[in-house]
Amino acid sequence: MQYKAKMSKPSLNLVHVLVAKSIIETLFVSTLVVVYFLDVFPHIHGWGEVTPPTISGWALNSRNPNERVEVQLFVDNKFVARTIASQSWPEIVEGGWSKDEWHGFTIPVSAIESGYHEARVYAIHDSGGGARKTLQLVGHPLRFQVMPDGTLKSLEPSSRRSRVATPEKSID
Amino acid sequence: MTEDTENLNSNSAGPAVTDKGLALWEVISVISSCLIAQWALVPIAPGHGFVKAVPILLAFGFMIFSHWYRGETLRAIGFRLDNFVAAGRILLLPTVGAVTLVLILGWSLSNEAGFVLRPLKPQLLLLPFWALIQQYALQGFINRRLQMSVGKGLKVTLLVGLLFALLHLPNPLLTSLTLLGGLIWAAAYQRHPNLFVLGISHALISLTLALVIPPGVINSLRVGFRYFN
Repeated sequence: MQYKAKMSKPSLNLVHVLVAKSIIETLFVSTLVVVYFLDVFPHIHGWGEVTPPTISGWALNSRNPNERVEVQLFVDNKFVARTIASQSWPEIVEGGWSKDEWHGFTIPVSAIESGYHEARVYAIHDSGGGARKTLQLVGHPLRFQVMPDGTLKSLEPSSRRSRVATPEKSID
Repeated sequence: MTEDTENLNSNSAGPAVTDKGLALWEVISVISSCLIAQWALVPIAPGHGFVKAVPILLAFGFMIFSHWYRGETLRAIGFRLDNFVAAGRILLLPTVGAVTLVLILGWSLSNEAGFVLRPLKPQLLLLPFWALIQQYALQGFINRRLQMSVGKGLKVTLLVGLLFALLHLPNPLLTSLTLLGGLIWAAAYQRHPNLFVLGISHALISLTLALVIPPGVINSLRVGFRYFN
């Protein structure tokens, strides 16, 4: 039952062990936090624009380019629609974002009253085996006006669809 | 050297840290490991028990090293039988009182269906072992190091009770009960350091708690971040 008594003075000082333990714990928790952050918030690249009948764009999980990202549209902070970004969007390949072009989305916008509005497209990401869902803004908020005939008019300086998106220039 | 102060002498840690400060640092280090496991790792690695085990294993590894470094014997820590009866005599009444209190609490919280004992789950069989482990960490290490740091007495008893309660936040019922239990067990340990008696007392109260208090009230004994799950 006797605890083995110390036979000789140990080479390790108690202070050193305490400091080492603290460092190990700090590194361990920091590593887990970084892994957790990368898992929960992957780097989503994307871009959106307003066209007369729709809000469209592309969204891509740069950590997993084969994934088809789910996007949700919110207008004036209210959920409007969801879709999977799996349509053709050739500029993605031209801009070097992905090897395949199937990351585009088009969301028809209707039944919104005339006037000025702001749209936000969010990419949805599942993690923790479905225990968590996170939303990340794709591109930037899109200001637009709904005309009396129901069409949308972008209030952005100019449409960027014509410009080939490059990794350096695109908004992500 | 008396029974309760045996082996509380310690080695010098070096010129930069006083021995009292070092003992306090040891307590903070072990408590912080428990808090990391309960609060930081549960939300970022849910369902990965082994991740939570890392700081706990580090804490236990450190405690064993500290005992070895300071030349503490198992007997001095409280793994002994010579004072079993003396320690049991001190803890008998508080344990019976606590079990009765929990039974009354369970009865008062029971619904119209009446007061029923829940079935004994297999994992509850590990309760005595788990209780002994907790009492070892709480009394055999924390209580002893606090005695080295601030001296034997009421101050240490209060600190041990508060630290034990802190580790059971935010579960309100468990926090209250562990504060009370921590105070009693800490006082008993200072008089007769016997971890087996403390483990039995702890296991009996925990078992009664698990069997008679509705799970909704104690949230299945969950503490830390898991309490919110």
